[in-house]
Amino acid sequence: MNAEANSGACSEYEARLEDYLAGHLSGAESNAVADHLRRCGGCRAAVDKAATSVRLLRLMEPTPDPGPGFARIAMVRINQQLAAEEGKGFWQPFVALAWRFAATVAVVLALGLSYEAVRKHRTPVQTTVAQARLNDMRYMFSAEQDRVPSTRDDVLIMVAETKNGNH
Amino acid sequence: MSDVPKGVSAQAAAIAAPLVRRSRAEEDRDLVRAAQAGGEPAFEELIRRHQQRVFALVGGILHRREDVEDVAQQIFLKAFLSLKRFDQRSAFSTWLYKISINECWDYLRKKKVRPLVYESDLSEEQVSRLDGIVSNDRPPAGPDERAEARELLERLLEKLSEQDRQLLLLKEVEGFSVEELADILELNVNTVKVRLFRARGRIMEHYRKRVERA
Repeated sequence: MNAEANSGACSEYEARLEDYLAGHLSGAESNAVADHLRRCGGCRAAVDKAATSVRLLRLMEPTPDPGPGFARIAMVRINQQLAAEEGKGFWQPFVALAWRFAATVAVVLALGLSYEAVRKHRTPVQTTVAQARLNDMRYMFSAEQDRVPSTRDDVLIMVAETKNGNH
Repeated sequence: MSDVPKGVSAQAAAIAAPLVRRSRAEEDRDLVRAAQAGGEPAFEELIRRHQQRVFALVGGILHRREDVEDVAQQIFLKAFLSLKRFDQRSAFSTWLYKISINECWDYLRKKKVRPLVYESDLSEEQVSRLDGIVSNDRPPAGPDERAEARELLERLLEKLSEQDRQLLLLKEVEGFSVEELADILELNVNTVKVRLFRARGRIMEHYRKRVERA
């Protein structure tokens, strides 16, 4: 006897035993299996169990035929589905176009608003700072910086120069 | 023409007229071609020809009669919607059964259907009566005995794995051949035979245990 599978039968005989049970073996094959069964207790017991299972399962009733009306009902459901999809299909291009338009408008608006915001906030600050720096530099390099009057005579001289147009 | 069932349209009947001399697969092929060309009556005829097997397959897998019709309708809807892509390299029935199997798995996954749980076991007397029926291979005496026998069987089947249960039901109850099961489940024919043989052993072990307890 060969290694037993979990049915209790020889593993290499299991498929053939199923055929034997169903009566699908030819005369010679059937005789060979019958010969093996005479010698192998494990296979014999497994075939007995399997044969009883056939009788047991015969007590169950097969699923009944749905009858002639089923095909009609199924076709009605198919047509309903097709009609629903057709309805969706008609509006589909318009809906897609509207979405595209809305998305484009939203992007343009967002870009415009952000540009305007940046322009408003950044430009005046930059002008003021630049102007202040320029004024500072003008003063730093101007001649007046070196000519601060320190005495009363200096002041009078500067007034006279201004009047004469030297400055 | 008298072989054509009542209610079949002229187009489907025209295809079905010389069917007597042709194989079922050839008839299916013509009906599929007509349905692919937009012939709804041809598809309706295909439903009529295959509805019983689809019901059997769904019933064998779901094991819940109340949901079979709904799932079967969904299967034919999916088949109709993808019919244009069906290239007829396999038989229409094989293609349809594969759609059926996928739809059943989807259904089981979505609904998270739980197996039936029985609160109480059968009485010893009931089990003895069932053993009498099985041992003597006699049909149940009446509707009550038959219902009782089925109830115990349901409980035994629930003890098996999903795969064992489906194989046994599809083969022994719904009448699918080993070759059909191999095709549908995409398994080797020998693998199906071995699995079936082992599943038989397992259900009988549960049965014997229950009978011995009684």
